[in-house]
Amino acid sequence: MIQFDRVAFSFPRNPVLRDLTLAVGAGEAVGLFGANGAGKTTILRLCMALLQPESGSVTVAGRGTAGLAPEDLAGDVGYLFQRPEDQLIRTSVRAELAYAPERLGWSVEKIDAAVGEALATCRLEAQAETHPYDLSVPKRRLVALASVLVTSPKVLLLDEPTALLDRNARALVADLVRARVAAGTTVIAVVHDPVFAIEALGRGIALGDGRVQEDGSVEQVLRSGVAGLGLPPSALAAERAGVKSASLRMRDLAVALSKRPGVGGS
Amino acid sequence: MSSLEFTRVSFRYPASRLVLRDVTLNAGAGQVTWLFGPLGAGASTVLLVAAGLAPSLTGGTLEGEVLVLGTAPQGQAGRAALQGRVAYVTAMPYLQLSGMAESVFDEVAFAPANLGWSRERIWEAVPAALERLGVAHLTDRVPEQLSGGELQRVVIAAMLVLQPEVWLLDEPSSALDTVGRRTVEALIRAEAKRGAAVLLATEDAELGLTVADEAILLDDGSTVARGAPDELLGTELMWEMGAGSTTVAELARAAKQLATVPSAKLMPPYPLTFEAAVERWR
Repeated sequence: MIQFDRVAFSFPRNPVLRDLTLAVGAGEAVGLFGANGAGKTTILRLCMALLQPESGSVTVAGRGTAGLAPEDLAGDVGYLFQRPEDQLIRTSVRAELAYAPERLGWSVEKIDAAVGEALATCRLEAQAETHPYDLSVPKRRLVALASVLVTSPKVLLLDEPTALLDRNARALVADLVRARVAAGTTVIAVVHDPVFAIEALGRGIALGDGRVQEDGSVEQVLRSGVAGLGLPPSALAAERAGVKSASLRMRDLAVALSKRPGVGGS
Repeated sequence: MSSLEFTRVSFRYPASRLVLRDVTLNAGAGQVTWLFGPLGAGASTVLLVAAGLAPSLTGGTLEGEVLVLGTAPQGQAGRAALQGRVAYVTAMPYLQLSGMAESVFDEVAFAPANLGWSRERIWEAVPAALERLGVAHLTDRVPEQLSGGELQRVVIAAMLVLQPEVWLLDEPSSALDTVGRRTVEALIRAEAKRGAAVLLATEDAELGLTVADEAILLDDGSTVARGAPDELLGTELMWEMGAGSTTVAELARAAKQLATVPSAKLMPPYPLTFEAAVERWR
């Protein structure tokens, strides 16, 4: 679904990616890890044709991005910016969510149904008529996410989807992303939040020095320690205490801990 | 005297309901005071009011008394008296850039230059501040081209350079990698030790637990509880009000709810850290 072939990219005085090759298959959910400035956001921007590589090629949903503009990919690819202000342009949440479907030429009925569903799944119904900029920053980020999910794109590019959110909103975003992945959507997410990565994503890629440093399951990449990564304290503690869990997801860890003799079981 | 005092403060943004209701709180010099609560609880608004940005920049209506370093931060006289002494760091660092600096150095030098510092003093202080945040290697970069986490550290450096007496920090680690996070944790503790009052708003329970001397719980614009972070975070109250706690506490509580015969080992107060949980569950 996404292919980077020997891609290089630099900002003036600052090389970001050198000779980066990676492939993401349809339906994969990938977390991009790495230190600040490692090029994670740059990779998302190259996927969306917001940037063009200096050398090498990027292919997304079967199309080379060379010569394409972001709007050429908008039917297939959704992009959640790190800054909600980069993508919110209308005067109510409902109108904002209708923007992309309108641009894609959907019928009024189809737009209404999709917007209604996105408002409900992102728990924004009470804010439907509010101006996005009158909402708190975390709520604004949820509006931006809803505006990306509303067209059900084949590929989701998410830049730190849980940053600035509270515990409940983080869990909601993990559920939403997991549901899209289960339905076959391809996801690439820039993440600093290891709990979200474990809950919602399958594969991890750690970047450093402009290249892939580690590529495997989210768990493997977190364990690699690259760029200071590590398992969340909850998973580490369960492991150290000898709790045998089916996975590192909170639900599985809790089940295992609840059955542990002397702790929760008999 | 506290460095920062709110007495019966209520605030509403234009055309909104009350977002702070009769809030009374204080933050002392040399202390890290942590504002914690679920989305919309009002923590960010407390910082905006303390910084004098609400209502002067945001609009809205403020009632009650706000004192920062003994001065009301609202209005021209308050702003003049507190200039360079109070550091506000927004959760959205990109909104905090001067927009007038062509390099990271110039960005961090912006406030000192506007305060009339000598060239020598600026040249000494700016590199030191960048070094403390681990971003000296970004000195010549264009601020607008930095990554989110790099920018967050530069914006904090741009406040650190002033050696403020009060810090108002809104989600200062939201975009940081592990190394940056540890740097900011250490900086917060060091600033309190230097004698600054730090008021920290964060949803990140691990950060609050690590750095804060005291936690103030907010819910729907009101203060609900205040106390030592390691005592409050382990209680069921945190979950009843929707704030949550550390990931370790979350796991402990989830297991308690699933257990058929939960033992004392799963009962609150929940363990908060790796070490406490291993000890309890082993």
